Amino acid sequence: MIKLAIYGKGGIGKSTISSNISAELTRRGMKVMQIGCDPKADSTSLLCGKRIPTVLDLTREKGSRLTLDDAVYESPSGVVCVEAGGPVPGVGCAGRGIINALETLKKLGAYDVYKPDVVIYDVLGDVVCGGFSMPMRKGYADKVFVVTSGEKMSKYAAANICMAVENFRDRGYASLGGIILNRRGVRDEDEQAKELADDFHTSIIGTLDRSEEIQLADEQQKTVSEAFPECKAAKQLSLIADGVLASFK
Amino acid sequence: MKNASKMIPCYSADTAGVCSAMYELGGMTVTHDASGCNSTYSTHDEPRWYDIRSDIFISALTEMDAIMGTDEKLISDTVKAAEDLHPKFITLCGSPMPMMTGTDFDAIAEEVERRSGIRTFAMHTNGTHSYIDGASEAMLAVVTEFVNECPKADGIGVNILGMTPLDFKWRGTSDLMKKWLGESGLEYISCLAMGSTLDEIKNAASAKVNLVVSYAGMASAEYMKDKFGIPYVCGVPFGIRAAESLADTIKKAAESGSSVLLAERSTDTCDTVIIGESINAVFLSSALYQELGISSSVICPLPTETRLLNSCDAEYLAEEDIEKALKELSPKTVIADPLYKSVIPKGTRLIGLPQFAFSGRCFEKHMPDLIYTDIKEYFK
Repeated sequence: MIKLAIYGKGGIGKSTISSNISAELTRRGMKVMQIGCDPKADSTSLLCGKRIPTVLDLTREKGSRLTLDDAVYESPSGVVCVEAGGPVPGVGCAGRGIINALETLKKLGAYDVYKPDVVIYDVLGDVVCGGFSMPMRKGYADKVFVVTSGEKMSKYAAANICMAVENFRDRGYASLGGIILNRRGVRDEDEQAKELADDFHTSIIGTLDRSEEIQLADEQQKTVSEAFPECKAAKQLSLIADGVLASFK
Repeated sequence: MKNASKMIPCYSADTAGVCSAMYELGGMTVTHDASGCNSTYSTHDEPRWYDIRSDIFISALTEMDAIMGTDEKLISDTVKAAEDLHPKFITLCGSPMPMMTGTDFDAIAEEVERRSGIRTFAMHTNGTHSYIDGASEAMLAVVTEFVNECPKADGIGVNILGMTPLDFKWRGTSDLMKKWLGESGLEYISCLAMGSTLDEIKNAASAKVNLVVSYAGMASAEYMKDKFGIPYVCGVPFGIRAAESLADTIKKAAESGSSVLLAERSTDTCDTVIIGESINAVFLSSALYQELGISSSVICPLPTETRLLNSCDAEYLAEEDIEKALKELSPKTVIADPLYKSVIPKGTRLIGLPQFAFSGRCFEKHMPDLIYTDIKEYFK
């Protein structure tokens, strides 16, 4: 089983890239489970065409009667989807929510029951607290991929995430799988991403250009390969999926 | 506010269960919690504190430690203390604050073990679960780590699993258990975890049967059944006749290799209700039936399994559910910790059976000896 986490600054395209990788790997015959680790709970809406109930909401509603059938949804393309969920903005503790949701999934035996070939944790923004490091802990993701553009704040968040991965190296946590460059048309963007990758002794495993098809596919609540299978973005996302798999070899 | 206790106290928490289980084994237990909280785990919940030395510490977690996630302080303080004290093992426990900040005790335990060279257990306690959960996890860790295959004892060797002062009267119980085993032709091997050294426990695989005296010992019993093929018998030797009957069950289990979970109970209408830890309460019910002909049902307010209970028994965790059940059952007599008095219907007789995990030291002096002892007078 390959387990990976995708991190990056808010709005950088983690969910879009995660969903497209999930759909692509499913299309190649792999069983993929995508777990959204964001209180907004919209990681898998692109795959499912709608929002699905979250583990935390269901736990609150059903308590110990919660089953996997309640929390796990299969998308039309065959991706096994879960949303951790979390509190509404401004209250509670989102990090603790991620811990609770992931522990609940483990306790319910989600990985044994669905036996996915690939598990993708799509994680909110930066590693701001202990809860958001949960997906990179032992027993969860084996590799972390960081999505960034050449924009200053995106690189800053990416560097923080890479640093967290480095700090946790002695604990047997996930290692850095690589950088995914989501181009935003910034000057010297490729060089800046390469510099970041070099700083953390990793590489750029894939790139994605800004494209209208991605936005149109998002609006249609479809993955790019579903909506525009022949476009350049679909090919780039397929190459990113290749890069992810290659990093595990 | 479901599960909010308004009149009765809550049971000792999981952390206290860990501290209690590890107390006599020569390890060092560190709870990651605010300064001062050690009194909860080591004095309020621990009758041995003034009589037996044990290395139990609090990390003195501060608000800033929690905010900044300074795990290093916990790691280095633990390692430094271990260098001075040379414990046989180290146990790290969580509490509510590290639960909220997502402290990774597994990773911290690995780091402590790497630096100190001493086996370190991470306990997944957070102060919100019952002492049964904590004691169960601690006992399983000890058994998994320290018990290895060894030659069988000549006679029918017995380990006692799941015994802590949180469920059993500390003074006298070990002696009575040993007396009962000896006079029943059974051989005492070890007791997890009251009255035995770690060396005795290391010899546990020489037993032919495990006696599970509380649900805290069940996970260890299941592990030893799978790993060493040792069957287990659930039971507590209350009374004389019921204790002899339990000894016979152990002998049969040694011969057949099959585990036995249930007790001989009455199926008649019950006018007595026992509230308490499942195995204790079920086997007290059995002893009352065998010795006094009393039919009783059990209300279990702690973690257990349905397979240990009869159809007339019930699992209720919330105060309002216990109160409602007692109203509906309308028993003549309730046997429970004296602090249950406030939820027992007026006019119902209460026979107090103090439990340290529920009322602490309040009724310590009134804890009766019921193990391998005539119980008729106490319950008549």
